[in-house]
Amino acid sequence: MTDVRAPEADPFESAAEPGEQGPRNRDPASGKLGLADWLKWGWRQLTSMRIALVLLFLLALGSVPGSILPQEGTDPGGVQQYFASHPALAPWLNHLGLFNVFAAPWFAAVYLLLFASLVGCVVPRTFRLAGSARTLPPRAPRHLTRLPRSAEYQTTLTPAVAAEVAATVLAGHGFRLRRPDGDGEYWVSAEKGYLREVGNLLFHLALLGVLVSVALGGLFGYKADRLLVQGTTFADTQSALDEWYPGRFVSAADLGPFTITLNRFDASYITSGAQRGQPSSFDAQISYTTHPGGPVRNDRLEVNRPLSVDGAKVYLIGHGYAPVFKVTDSRGQVVYDQATPFISGASGNFLSQGVVKVSGAQPEQLGFTGVFVPTAVMVGGVLESAFPAADNPVVSLLAYAGNLGLNDGVPQSVYQLNTAAMRQLTSAPQLLLPGQSLKLPDGQGTIAFTGYVPWASLTITHDPGQLPALICGLAALGGLLLSFMVRRRRVFVRVRASGPAHGAPDEAHSTVQIGGLARTDASGGFEDEFASLAAELRSAHSQHEGE
Amino acid sequence: MPVNLALGHVSTDFLIAALVIYSLSVVAFAGDFAFGRPRRAASAATGQQARQRAGALASVGAAAAAPAVPPASSAPPASSAPGAPSAPGSAAPDSMPEVALPPLRAVGQAGRWVQAALALSAAGVLAHVVAVVTRGLAVHRAPWGNMYEFVTALTCVAAIFFLFVMIKYRAWALGVFVMGAVVVALGLAETLIYTAAGQLVPALQSYWLDIHVTAMTLATGIFFVAAVLGVVYLAADRSARRVAAGRAESGNGILRRLPSIEQIDRLTYRTVMFGFPVWTFGVIAGAIWADQAWGRYWGWDPVETWAFITWVLYAAFLHARATAGWRGRRAHYIQLLGFASLMFNILVVQVFIAGLHSYAGVS
Repeated sequence: MTDVRAPEADPFESAAEPGEQGPRNRDPASGKLGLADWLKWGWRQLTSMRIALVLLFLLALGSVPGSILPQEGTDPGGVQQYFASHPALAPWLNHLGLFNVFAAPWFAAVYLLLFASLVGCVVPRTFRLAGSARTLPPRAPRHLTRLPRSAEYQTTLTPAVAAEVAATVLAGHGFRLRRPDGDGEYWVSAEKGYLREVGNLLFHLALLGVLVSVALGGLFGYKADRLLVQGTTFADTQSALDEWYPGRFVSAADLGPFTITLNRFDASYITSGAQRGQPSSFDAQISYTTHPGGPVRNDRLEVNRPLSVDGAKVYLIGHGYAPVFKVTDSRGQVVYDQATPFISGASGNFLSQGVVKVSGAQPEQLGFTGVFVPTAVMVGGVLESAFPAADNPVVSLLAYAGNLGLNDGVPQSVYQLNTAAMRQLTSAPQLLLPGQSLKLPDGQGTIAFTGYVPWASLTITHDPGQLPALICGLAALGGLLLSFMVRRRRVFVRVRASGPAHGAPDEAHSTVQIGGLARTDASGGFEDEFASLAAELRSAHSQHEGE
Repeated sequence: MPVNLALGHVSTDFLIAALVIYSLSVVAFAGDFAFGRPRRAASAATGQQARQRAGALASVGAAAAAPAVPPASSAPPASSAPGAPSAPGSAAPDSMPEVALPPLRAVGQAGRWVQAALALSAAGVLAHVVAVVTRGLAVHRAPWGNMYEFVTALTCVAAIFFLFVMIKYRAWALGVFVMGAVVVALGLAETLIYTAAGQLVPALQSYWLDIHVTAMTLATGIFFVAAVLGVVYLAADRSARRVAAGRAESGNGILRRLPSIEQIDRLTYRTVMFGFPVWTFGVIAGAIWADQAWGRYWGWDPVETWAFITWVLYAAFLHARATAGWRGRRAHYIQLLGFASLMFNILVVQVFIAGLHSYAGVS
């Protein structure tokens, strides 16, 4: 991102930067100015490099709280926890948008101002580049030895021939040339490296493109989550999704009508050594149709290997255990028989928690809170999981009876039991091995732990801004490399007749002066280029002397 | 495929060898300061003048050869360009810019201590590369899958890159600082966060590990060199200002033997210019991988956020250098701030802040 604004005293721009000097840059405080002048002044301030630097700083600084405080977008649970542990501070932080920094108005203000500043610079500069591509390099200065790089030597060629030879050499290196219009002067102006400016502009415009692409994805894309128990199927419709985050211009009708069945999920773990318990592979075997009733295809989902279907991508994000419970109520009727996904925390070897809600039980509704332990061990009287694979699965259950509160109109989480209108049936958690069952007191029925199946959680995304963002990102990188590796430079050659030489009065005689300057030779090497160019010009001249 | 533990031990042995050889090279670089031929003996009086001259970086630290390389802009004394016969019967003395001395010949003309230090650095780099490669062979993957491996790889990049810079730009006067920093970083990695060779979690089993983390490792190694150069710049700048204010004796100590502050500044700038596109590529590659693994290419995960902050700060450095009032000291503070955010990302965010990138493997 170097110097999209020209550095001060740039020899490559004849006109001084507007707004840098001159009466147009008056401080509005110093005199009476109208609104238009104030706006002009503000715009000039905004597009100055100094303000751009300040905005870059603010952008960096503003991002910091987004990584230190929990964010709504990535960690909503963390935000709730923060509210609970810092009840006085959290509401203030929330007012400042610090729990959703990257969507906060002030953050948007910073980057929009930065991009406005960028546009205010890039657009005039594009015009200037187009202008300089049409005009020739400037006339050669009179005294080339005053330039940063210079060389001087004698040749027996006439000035006209020497200048012609120099022009041929420079043209052979791809320089754009300018020759004198009239007679009497012999010089060559040569310029090269316009791609540097092109790269610089490309880089900055591509950054704008990235911003637009991100906005595109936010408006027209969506993200959805779905937990899928092994052996079950779901269709990509709004009601079948656990969570759906549509963009502003996305409706339920935009969802792809594909269906996915999880046939089998396998997780394997390292069983020995220091890394014991660390996962070594996940593998979800699925079958899918692009629309209900369509041909069934089989595929595998792995981490880092999403499935592309119907314009959306499906990712394997997480997994866990779903113990299967069979509940019989007081009448002896089976009122519940299904796999129930339990959720594990980040640690604890898949010690997972969940609830069973039996709304159809008679005479009262039944509810259970449970813990599933894949490899159960007792450590000091506390149930713990020693390994993430289900080597010794155990569930621990607490039973409740009463009203589940499902008809209150308040949506309930399937992972939480509202026990406000329920009474606890068992005094302590009851442990069950697969196949075992628990008889509830007072003839309320029984609950059997019949087995377990794995579940996988899938994320479905559609982001139309993705490809544009990638293209713009790569264009920015290409522009960056161009602007860093190409240097814009000018080389001038001026030949003057210098009178007869000592001892050879009959020979024609010329003095060749070469001068060169590079504009921001950041990657270095112009001095070497100039030295070898000067040597080449000289040897070309001395070759022609021999002819 | 199981981890080859024997090969893992070979890797550790080579790494310790590299650490020892690097330490010896630092001693040799320091020896050059202490006992080497004074670099600017001939120009001690004009030292200040030499500092102001924005001359060829090529003449930096070219021991005895330095006076033989006149700055390109000087007019007399005349010297013909090599290979070009001088015009017969010249009326005026010619002035041709010198084509720079080939780097390796410049090394030949450097002092004994410098030659020893460079040879030791090269030997250390060799052992270091062997250590990284054997680690990769032991674990059957790119050997930068956890923090320990990342630090050993990035210091390897820094050492290789700086060896190249030292020879290309004759900047061995900076060797003691950069190689010293490499020794410290590598030593800390070896003692504090050593992690035995092991397998990776499924999230990291992707060829994007090779692309994304390799780019990040390269960029971090290069920025590491730039940060050390930035610190040297600030020290030299401070000393120059003290001298200008008449508060300190000119020509005391190590700083007198360093390249001019303009030259350090330019070298730092070029180093950052080299690292910045690599970092940009690393971020883009990371975004592609994030899209493959997590279903979004950018999600403001803490590590992503700090990579962004680092990118913005280095971009600010590159801009600051073209802005009046921000060149020099302020620009270098920004650069160091950028490196600080990079280190914060690696050492604090990845280890202590929960996020999707928690792969450090540091217990």
